[in-house]
Amino acid sequence: MSSLALTAYVLVWPAMASIVLAVLCVGVAHDMRAAKRNGTDLV
Amino acid sequence: MRPCVVPATLAANNKEMDLFQLSLTTSLLLLLCFYGLTFLVSLRIGRKQENVDSYMVSNNSVGFGMSAASMTATWIWAASFYAAASSGYKYGLSGALHYGFWGALMILFIYPFGRRFRQLAPKAHTLGEIMHARHGKASQMILAGSNIVGSGISLTVNFTAAGALVEVLTPLSFVHGVLIAGLGVLSYTLWSGFRSSVLTDFGQLVAMILAAVIIIPLIFFQLGGPELFTTGMPRLTPEQASFYSPTAILEQGAPFFVAVLAYAIGNQTIAQRLFAVREDLIKPTFVTATLGYGAIVIGLGMLGLLALLAGVQPVGGDLNNLIPQMASTYLPPFVIGLFFIMVIGSLSSTADSDLSALSAIVMTDIYGKNLACGKPNPSTMLWVGRLTMVVATATGVIFASLKLDILSMLIFVGALWGAIVFPVISSLFWDRVTNKAFTSAVLAAFGMFVISRFELLPLQGVIGVLFELCAAVGGGVVIGLMTFGFFGRNAGIVMGALTALILAPFAVGFLRDYPVLLSSLTAYGVSTLVCVTVSLRSQERFDFDHIGERVVAFQGSQSKSKKEEESPLCPVSL
Repeated sequence: MSSLALTAYVLVWPAMASIVLAVLCVGVAHDMRAAKRNGTDLV
Repeated sequence: MRPCVVPATLAANNKEMDLFQLSLTTSLLLLLCFYGLTFLVSLRIGRKQENVDSYMVSNNSVGFGMSAASMTATWIWAASFYAAASSGYKYGLSGALHYGFWGALMILFIYPFGRRFRQLAPKAHTLGEIMHARHGKASQMILAGSNIVGSGISLTVNFTAAGALVEVLTPLSFVHGVLIAGLGVLSYTLWSGFRSSVLTDFGQLVAMILAAVIIIPLIFFQLGGPELFTTGMPRLTPEQASFYSPTAILEQGAPFFVAVLAYAIGNQTIAQRLFAVREDLIKPTFVTATLGYGAIVIGLGMLGLLALLAGVQPVGGDLNNLIPQMASTYLPPFVIGLFFIMVIGSLSSTADSDLSALSAIVMTDIYGKNLACGKPNPSTMLWVGRLTMVVATATGVIFASLKLDILSMLIFVGALWGAIVFPVISSLFWDRVTNKAFTSAVLAAFGMFVISRFELLPLQGVIGVLFELCAAVGGGVVIGLMTFGFFGRNAGIVMGALTALILAPFAVGFLRDYPVLLSSLTAYGVSTLVCVTVSLRSQERFDFDHIGERVVAFQGSQSKSKKEEESPLCPVSL
């Protein structure tokens, strides 16, 4: 495999983790808004 | 994923490792900030009068973001990093994948079954409680007992990891680390239980992901970036340089693959989150947690591969030293502090989940369903849960301080959980499974597991072939159950039977050399064969609607219970 492909193989995981983090932050913000709107607890 | 290597021996090498250490003030400030902030966050949701059901499973309608974050944080623990990196160092290119990928799949493969659990018992608190409603006390206590042992060991391993990390990276001692982690986790989990665990998991996961996202590229470019592959690949053996290394598959990937369903079914921390998340959000929650776990753990596992490429020799020859060694050598002090928080966050998020799991099992399966015969006093029940947490923390701290080799126990229990997977799943899909079938299947599988795992009988000749054939059936069961979860009964039976038939000729004369894999598969195979045989001999049919009627909210059902004084005290018995 080329160095470029192997570099991608190593760095794709932190990139994917960043995307997951963004998704989770949006999700939690949505949960907080929904809880506030409905007057319920977040958990 | 839970089965892994804890850095228990790491601390012993700290002096000869000559690692960078944080100062005493910095160390105490970091720990105080971490546990102090976590405690303050937990205060935001504290109630004077907690609800017992919320204490165990929140409101059964936790949103996607909180659930997915909690699921991910819980499933990642400190030792995941060390074990993934060890795998990357040992097996090369495919090593980290063979640890993190299968661990991630554990989360994914449980959700089809999880949806069934929720459909049958929307108000459940533990899987043991569902088994109580389905079969009675014996099955319930088998599940509860195995979960208590598993969570107790997991808690101890996490405290041990805290002690080892603190001893390596700070001037504090091992026992200081164990005590700080124990008291810190207990302080924010004690009052609000599972709700605190879920709420704080989000912050802990954010810290973990941020650290991973910074540390992995930083070390990679410190080592030379893409140039590292040009200079480092000649250091790898042909197997390490291949993505299809048979050694990596047989020694790392296959045993983990077999454990996929066992860990998910046998672990109350997963079940609790399954019962807490809003029912229509189970799938996105579990898919996101799968991706999150995979990305973080495989990513940190890449540090092992980078160490191999760079020719780094683990201090003392101990692979558990790799990650702290890499962090200490290639990271600036600020990022080492970040690394410290990442590991403390990962072990704390798992430890608080273990405390919540233990308290829920004792509250529900021991007090609620047995001591109180299904009519618990919510106030007493709550204090039973809190007392459980205190006792569990004290026990975990004591065992961790003794530095016992508890990890092998956890791996043993994890493999043993293979014995309960088929009986549990089939009990909730097949109306012919009886209590006798469940318990006899688990006991028979346990016996055969112990015999093969510890080679109590010589695994040669007819005996060896017998175990290998049982293991081939076990392989079919694993594939069959996974297929069944996603594609239904017929596809599951066909795939399971085909897999067993294909595996059988390869297994005979071969699997006896891999006792860990052989014993795990045997547990699956024997439990399935006994459970199916005994069930087919029975003419009983179970009405699954009874589960929903018997598994109810404790606090909500209290007034109803008082009105129904004449109803049987224990509607389900042996």
